[in-house]
Amino acid sequence: MQFDFIHKPCNTAVKITLQAGETCTTEAGSMIAMDSHLNVDTSTHKRGKRGILKSLKRMFAGESFFLNHYTANTESELWVSNPHPGDMIKVDLLGEKLIVQAGSFVACDENIDINTGWQGFKSLLSGESFFWLSLSGQGQVVLNSFGAIYEIDVDGEYIVDTGHIVAFEESLSFSLSKAGSSWIQSWLGGEGIICKIKGKGKLYCQSHNLMEFGKSLTPHLLPKVRG
Amino acid sequence: MKVEKLGGKAFSYIEFTLDPGQGVRTEPGAMASMDAGIDVMANMNGGFFTAILMFFFGKESFFINTFKNLSQNPQKLVVSKCSPGEIVEHKLEGETLFLQPGAFVAGSAGVKYKLSWAGISSWLAREGLFRIRCYGTGTVWYGAYGAVVEREIDGEYIVDSGHLLSYGEEMSYTIKMSGGIFSSIFGGEGLVLKMQGKGTIRLQTRSVGGLAGWLNPRFTRSGGGKLSNLLDLFGSR
Repeated sequence: MQFDFIHKPCNTAVKITLQAGETCTTEAGSMIAMDSHLNVDTSTHKRGKRGILKSLKRMFAGESFFLNHYTANTESELWVSNPHPGDMIKVDLLGEKLIVQAGSFVACDENIDINTGWQGFKSLLSGESFFWLSLSGQGQVVLNSFGAIYEIDVDGEYIVDTGHIVAFEESLSFSLSKAGSSWIQSWLGGEGIICKIKGKGKLYCQSHNLMEFGKSLTPHLLPKVRG
Repeated sequence: MKVEKLGGKAFSYIEFTLDPGQGVRTEPGAMASMDAGIDVMANMNGGFFTAILMFFFGKESFFINTFKNLSQNPQKLVVSKCSPGEIVEHKLEGETLFLQPGAFVAGSAGVKYKLSWAGISSWLAREGLFRIRCYGTGTVWYGAYGAVVEREIDGEYIVDSGHLLSYGEEMSYTIKMSGGIFSSIFGGEGLVLKMQGKGTIRLQTRSVGGLAGWLNPRFTRSGGGKLSNLLDLFGSR
């Protein structure tokens, strides 16, 4: 399976080239075009595994209830993209676990297991979703973001503003903290609570924050009429 | 200090590499991520009276953040705006640059940054009660929603409200209707800014108010039916 990204980082789409026999799993609604001879199968779970509970959990993690599985008989292509302007990246997993923020999962190959985990009650305060996806196995994963994605090799401590985490390796842990040395300064300066990432491993951040952009847009929107 | 502009024009973000002891000032909330050896201090921007006015009428926070590298090694700081768009760099050598509310992203140590009164008419045109006066010697980074367009002006020039980013010190603007009464109300432009003077102005190609105006009629007003809510729940987001 090969992934080719175009129009990064704003209007990103990915061309997935499948060899005969390969299966690609995508989030429902993310396909934009494909070869007509690809077999499409929609399920609530990974192929060959049961999991209605898993997909209910996945919904809490901000993903769709259903997953689509595309299987190729001959070499074929599948195009996948974001509903919003944003970046996409491919991450190669070599057996380690990847913790992914709600809504950032796009696609993966058949060797990846998709689970829903949680990072404790601190998630509620962190501006991130309560539930996180945890991807494991040996294979390839595609993630999306609002804003450009950049990779940080954390060794020790690193600070990320809430709403900017896309994914991190399980060898890293996060805790909530303040920006700088004082809580008051952190609040006054508009940073408030930040995430402190500790350990050794890879962290993927997004340059922009959808919640913040939403906040700047909200005062201009008309109230919804109940009817 | 090493500065790298990344993310292209659509998602501009800036990566500062601060040497030990070096600092940079930013708009509150602009930090996306940083190394743990950087400390942040919030400073009040302007006096008490300005702070009170900002609290009631302002769009901006009356604080400004100072990020300083307190460690012994170079530390990185990533800064961006909340809206997707371009961030431009402007070198100041003693002159003054006026920024519209919300445009400021960051400034190097030698740049002074003051909120100044922009007037009631500016507020009526939804341009905010204050403008930001940057002066001194150093670099200012400011950003747009959309891309940045530069125009040289000598005399008069009209800019739609919500699209102005910055202008020079020998310039000013007044608020007027875009045309006659009919064209101002029905032509979709409403109030516009009439710029006067000589110098460079920078505009943003999009405005958040414009996006909202385009989105508003597209939302389901009645809240949809039960069926469509159910489909929303199970469908893709």
